[in-house]
Amino acid sequence: MMILEYEAKDLLRSAGVAVPDGSVIRPGARALQAAARRIDSYPVAVKAQVRSGGRGKQGGVTRANDVAQLRAAAKRLFATTFGDEQPAALLADPWLVIDRELYLSVTVDGAAEGYVVLYSPRGGVDIESGAPPVRYPIGVPWRFRTHELRAILEPVEKDFQVRERVIALAQRLVETAAARDCTTIEINPLARLASGELVALDAKVVYDEWGHFRNRDIAEQRAGIRRRADRLLKACLDMQHMYVRLDGDIGLISGGAGMTMAAMDMIRRYGGRPACFFDCSPGPTSTRGYRPAIAMLDADPQVKVILVSIFGGGTQMQRVATAMKENMPMRRSGKPVVFRLDGTHVDQVPGILATFGARNHDCLEDAVREAVKLARRA
Amino acid sequence: MSILLDETNRILVQGITGHMGTFFVTDARRYGTQVIAGVSPGRGGASVDGVPVFNSVATACKETGADTAMVFVPPAAVQGATIESIEAGCRLVVATADELPVRDAIEIRAAARAYNARFVGPNSPGLISPGKAKMGFMPSFCYRRGDVGVISRSGSLSYEACKRLTLAGIGQTTVVGIGGDPVKGTTAAEALELFHADPETRAVLYLGEIGGSEEAAVAAYAARVDAKPVAALIVGATAPPGKKMGHAAALVGSHADSHEAKTRMLKHAGVQVAAGVSDVVKSTQAALAAARN
Repeated sequence: MMILEYEAKDLLRSAGVAVPDGSVIRPGARALQAAARRIDSYPVAVKAQVRSGGRGKQGGVTRANDVAQLRAAAKRLFATTFGDEQPAALLADPWLVIDRELYLSVTVDGAAEGYVVLYSPRGGVDIESGAPPVRYPIGVPWRFRTHELRAILEPVEKDFQVRERVIALAQRLVETAAARDCTTIEINPLARLASGELVALDAKVVYDEWGHFRNRDIAEQRAGIRRRADRLLKACLDMQHMYVRLDGDIGLISGGAGMTMAAMDMIRRYGGRPACFFDCSPGPTSTRGYRPAIAMLDADPQVKVILVSIFGGGTQMQRVATAMKENMPMRRSGKPVVFRLDGTHVDQVPGILATFGARNHDCLEDAVREAVKLARRA
Repeated sequence: MSILLDETNRILVQGITGHMGTFFVTDARRYGTQVIAGVSPGRGGASVDGVPVFNSVATACKETGADTAMVFVPPAAVQGATIESIEAGCRLVVATADELPVRDAIEIRAAARAYNARFVGPNSPGLISPGKAKMGFMPSFCYRRGDVGVISRSGSLSYEACKRLTLAGIGQTTVVGIGGDPVKGTTAAEALELFHADPETRAVLYLGEIGGSEEAAVAAYAARVDAKPVAALIVGATAPPGKKMGHAAALVGSHADSHEAKTRMLKHAGVQVAAGVSDVVKSTQAALAAARN
């Protein structure tokens, strides 16, 4: 769950990391007016606050030398969409004179059995094209040792003052990631100023959404995602369903991330195109649980056929079939629905589906073939 | 033989009085699993389906000789409960829960390592040694005893794949759900080592997905001269980059995480890679045929 740059910088500031003393500008003339009054020194870097990557390359960061340029930049950036995202705010940071751009991040890595620190003496927008950053695998946060990181930095960072500052900073980032449930804290660029000071010019923080029960910021971010979702998607998120929209026409309702992807891949193999990744397994397997999923696909003009493919262990199939039976009369569209249910108590499924004129496909291949055929005909 | 779990494991259930715990006791015992104790703080002295309930894992182990723990507690309590079992001396601890903060998984893994215990999970269906014992909610009819070891990042995909194997007459030694989270109690590399050492396992089927680095470990194993033959299925060919596909680790961040890169790497290492779930049986048969030579 990625947060916005200004939120990430607030988090860093609270952990004792130097960040530029910027101003957040919300949409609207009055907010811009207030920001213009607050900013007393130019130039500033005006930055669109969006989660999508590649913001800089899409013109989302611009320099303003005076208040007129600030207004023009604000007008343009608020009217631009990045990916499918409109900026919720702008951040106006003082334009700093930089001696060198570095890269520093802490992230969770399976191979490291936990946290890993990444550092490169050359950061900035082209970090991907340079030599890969050096890695310090830590695992548990309390395994961090300054002398171990120093030994890793010595071959790549010749300036010992920068090195020592980076070590102190890295330790703080690891502690912050652990205490605040962040799976990534990335500072790129980390700027070395002429004074020798290191300042986080940009920041990317990814929260672990499952830390929501002990971290109010995460709980609020989750609530924010729900607020931004439309009515139908919100109902699905409330049921813990996981949904990613794709560009095809077969609306797949599935259970389990792996099985959902396997079904998506099979749809393509049979010449069809999936309209979504839709994993409904974490939610309740009741009528209430599936209703919003079906309603959303029914309302989506891109979806021509619905394919329900569920292989359940703990999820009992007679319950899924009954939920489907109860949902069918409430539908507002006549889009065809293809079923493939298998797993615990599957023997009871054909009887339940027959009560509303549907039939169960014994294997996924048959169901996918049928769905692809119906999508072509629609 | 099998790995990690067989009919000799003496299992205690943490959170036995909850909905999942109660369901597990009935289902697992019907399969022949030795479920001999439950733990539910504050409910000591009660019993569930004839299984005695204790207030702490230490007491349960002392009174019943339990050596294995199945954890069914809410995500916020998983770290505490799991480490309690590890420190009480359980050799195998399984926590299937999803929604566990990764920070907690990191601590549990470190604790298991310090106590030389094995942790399976989180966000996993658990594991089953067909015909012997099960620790999870997998539908029992999908499995039969045999000589293929199965490792899976996804629960439902392992049910689907194992049902296909079973219908084709290919049985399994043990099916381990290593889970879909980035930090795992048991990694693919570790599960492979266990299957490698198990004389009854003749070939391994690995069920993976986009994102993460597990597949690199599978390729590294398969490239070894003494490796047992490996078949694999990687799902997520149609997943767009930059989007998390349900599992926290199932995200294509860079090219190395992609379906294409992973399949190529596995093929290069000599793995029988299935083109889709439809070809899982064919690829596993090819691996078994290689094991015969």
